[in-house]
Amino acid sequence: MRNLKFDNVTMQFPRAEGGTVEVLRDITMEVEGGSFFTLLGPSGCGKSTLLNIAAGFEKPTQGSASLDAETIDRPGPDRTVIFQDVGNALFPWLNVWENVEFGLKMAKASAALRKERCDKYLELVGLSEDRGKFPFELSGGMKQRVQIARALANDPEILLMDEPFAALDAITKRYLQTEFRKIWKDTGKTILYITHDIFEALLLSTHLAVMSTGPNATIREIFKIDLQEPRLTSNRDFAAMHSTIEGIIDEEVQKSRAS
Amino acid sequence: MKYQRLSILALSAAAFIGVWWISTYVYFNPKIVVPPNLVAETLWEITRNGELFEHVWASARRVVVGYVIGAVFGIGLGTIIGLYRIAEELLEPPLQFVRNITPVAIVPLAINLFGLDEGSKYAVIVYSTIIPIIFNTAGGVGGTPQIRIRAAMCLGAGQADIFFRIVVPSAWPFIVTGLRIALGFAFMGVVAAEMIAADEGVGFMIMQSRNMFLPAQMFAGIFLLGMIGVGTDRLIRFALDRLMSRYMMTLNSDVGVT
Repeated sequence: MRNLKFDNVTMQFPRAEGGTVEVLRDITMEVEGGSFFTLLGPSGCGKSTLLNIAAGFEKPTQGSASLDAETIDRPGPDRTVIFQDVGNALFPWLNVWENVEFGLKMAKASAALRKERCDKYLELVGLSEDRGKFPFELSGGMKQRVQIARALANDPEILLMDEPFAALDAITKRYLQTEFRKIWKDTGKTILYITHDIFEALLLSTHLAVMSTGPNATIREIFKIDLQEPRLTSNRDFAAMHSTIEGIIDEEVQKSRAS
Repeated sequence: MKYQRLSILALSAAAFIGVWWISTYVYFNPKIVVPPNLVAETLWEITRNGELFEHVWASARRVVVGYVIGAVFGIGLGTIIGLYRIAEELLEPPLQFVRNITPVAIVPLAINLFGLDEGSKYAVIVYSTIIPIIFNTAGGVGGTPQIRIRAAMCLGAGQADIFFRIVVPSAWPFIVTGLRIALGFAFMGVVAAEMIAADEGVGFMIMQSRNMFLPAQMFAGIFLLGMIGVGTDRLIRFALDRLMSRYMMTLNSDVGVT
């Protein structure tokens, strides 16, 4: 499995009133193949920009993102994004089955393979019974599961997940977090996951990068998360880790208030 | 539920006709504002002698030809405007200017350019229809959610797939709205053109009735326009809903610019 690398990535955007604003400054990091790598940081710190660069939606002003030696310069089926705005991410005129099948059709996969993959991943996300439904008939949580199945059916190397569960209610969110952790273990995909939720980050990740507050955001610290399983808030190591991370985030927020 | 809606519809129609009937005698001269029973009689008469069919057919033929031309070019131009920023910047200002000029005002110009025959009628109808179709198509094509396009790119869709499988279906509800609005405009255009220069058609029938002082026939023509408008709108809505229910699910409410 290839590693996703960011080499000296700097990103500047033009400001409406002229000049530029630097969102990311000189970020170098490596997401090891097969790991569940989470980017955690306060809102507006440029997490999504970094993910968009990995997806190939945006080109960095300086530096580059690459998969091992292959520079990323455009979106491709080896890297699939799971969007938070699932209402727009799913194709409303296609039913659940047809949405999941979309990437396979693009790859000109045979009908037999399409059926096999769709069956498999709809089963995995627990939506086998709902294959004929259209997105507007589904709840937010179900839609997000369709999006996950659609991505997995296409068998990408990396899933890029931009706060996928942030818009869901607390109970659905918790359910999907645990479900998704199982799915990740089953499929072994490399995951770059964005969140501002410390609990979610600790529950899911193998690696956790805490970003500093933007503008000029950088990676402040990378933790390897090796907590006692099952990961429960009542576990001593979980609680300790949570307060460590919380401390860093608080510091970052204070800094941005002061400046 | 169904009976309730039908009875409300009947009540509404009865109230409209009732107000019309009474006001002809109370507020107006019945020789100028003709009561509904006389209009109905006249409609029956011109239906029997074939005059009605002749006029409706003449107008309908013009509308179909002009509307189809307007739709083809309108959807084409609207798509280009929606896709390319430079086309939008170049074409939007003149289109904004032109959309405020009523079709009635261009009838004389159309006659000078295309003569007194069918050509000038088609031109007026194309003019009336193309503008709402362009604006709605451009809005739909240009308004395709970026996330939808990006999602397709992540699933391996190329340029052509993105256009045909994402942009076009996303734009359908908007295009359909444009087509519906344009159909109403087409009838307005054809009547305007026929009033100034024609020897058949519903617009001609209304104008001729006035000139010959046949107020009942004039009202029959006006009434007919309303009926044709409602009928064709229902028809196009029914057809498009059947054909494109999948694409209409994108939206829950009506959209569109006129």
